[in-house]
Amino acid sequence: MCLSVPAEVARILPNDMAIVSVDGVRIEISIALVQDLAPGDYVLVHVGFALAKIDAAEARRTLKLLQELGRAGLETNS
Amino acid sequence: MRPAVCNRIDITVSLVGDTVAAVGILPRVKPPVGRLFAGKPAVSLLDVLPRLFPLCAAAHRVAFLSAIEAARGQEVSTMTRAHCTTQVVVERLTELIRGLIIEHLALDISGSAAIRALIKDNSVLVGREGYQSGPDRCAVTARVAAALAGLRISDDDGTLMPGSALALRMAALEGGVLEPKLTQQSFLSAADDCEIIERLLGRDARSGNCPDLEGRIPETGPWARQMLRDRLSLGRSGPAERLKARIAEIVQLFTWLKAGAHPETAEEGIVKSYSLGRGCGAAGVECARGRLYHAVELDRYGQIARFEYLAPTEWNFHKRGPLARSLQGAVLRARQHQEGAVRAMIASFDPCVAFTQKIVESGHA
Repeated sequence: MCLSVPAEVARILPNDMAIVSVDGVRIEISIALVQDLAPGDYVLVHVGFALAKIDAAEARRTLKLLQELGRAGLETNS
Repeated sequence: MRPAVCNRIDITVSLVGDTVAAVGILPRVKPPVGRLFAGKPAVSLLDVLPRLFPLCAAAHRVAFLSAIEAARGQEVSTMTRAHCTTQVVVERLTELIRGLIIEHLALDISGSAAIRALIKDNSVLVGREGYQSGPDRCAVTARVAAALAGLRISDDDGTLMPGSALALRMAALEGGVLEPKLTQQSFLSAADDCEIIERLLGRDARSGNCPDLEGRIPETGPWARQMLRDRLSLGRSGPAERLKARIAEIVQLFTWLKAGAHPETAEEGIVKSYSLGRGCGAAGVECARGRLYHAVELDRYGQIARFEYLAPTEWNFHKRGPLARSLQGAVLRARQHQEGAVRAMIASFDPCVAFTQKIVESGHA
């Protein structure tokens, strides 16, 4: 199953594109499927597309959860 | 705080001349969800599933709830079952349409608003009380119709409007830079549920990552469902066939919604749950990407003692699975288009899987 990653919109580009930041790493994605985004908004990103707008608290919770899963995975494999 | 879960599949295709001689698939690392939620209340996992898996949030939610109810030995009402089926179908429909956009860039400006409305609100509308008989059902149907019009797909029979982005894409795929071999295929269905669930809750912890059914690694998803409906097992499984199956299924599901979304006329096995005794339960749900499984074991306090899940991707992108079989022995004709042809084949199994691809020349057979 496909995990999605929360990202903060850094800059809106022409043609329904945007620069987003995933923990400081900037990537260019399509925002064609989500309306009314502005810098500072948070979105769920999956394979180069913004899937949905989420609030900042939700983004933090999801990032924390992914981090915990990552740590649990490392412990399982060590 | 960088997410530490690897969510990507690495695929290497080795060529001898113009023929695919070998396919290497390095799977992604499955997030250890069960380990993280062991000893916690079931509701804690129910809350995070949509956040972890937003593409198939309804399917995961229904699979988990159905497995929990089965583990508790609870009877599920007809109304609840109907509601779950509709939620899964509407999410599947929406995801299949979204996949057309991601995989085939089938969206033009005129259709974008309709697609956005479909993706944004359908889950909300379907989740409301009284959906089956109320105005929300009409709203969902109207939004799907608008989205299909935006994609230039006939909602009667799935015909593509000549000259549309999707029709041009279909023609390009049918042009056949990559020609897969005609092979005997194997498909996952509800008939496999019991064997899979037994393995999920068995002692073999690796089964979640590398499933197989007595050596059989079946395909799951729209093309597999179409082949099962048509009772076919011999097929050439190229990207064009998978795109046609995806469109056909979109129209089929839309027809079912328009006709009233009656559970008794839904396809067999969309949601099936299994009470296994001793606090164990499991469920299989047919979502956009294929058949999804959840299995749970509850302790005597009703907390999660064990949680296992098996996603469609684990079958389709298995190192000896359907993707590998489709590429193995295939002929790649036009050298300058090889990268695009292989990418189209990989994405045809699931446009929403993150992957890298590498084509290498082996030199010798």
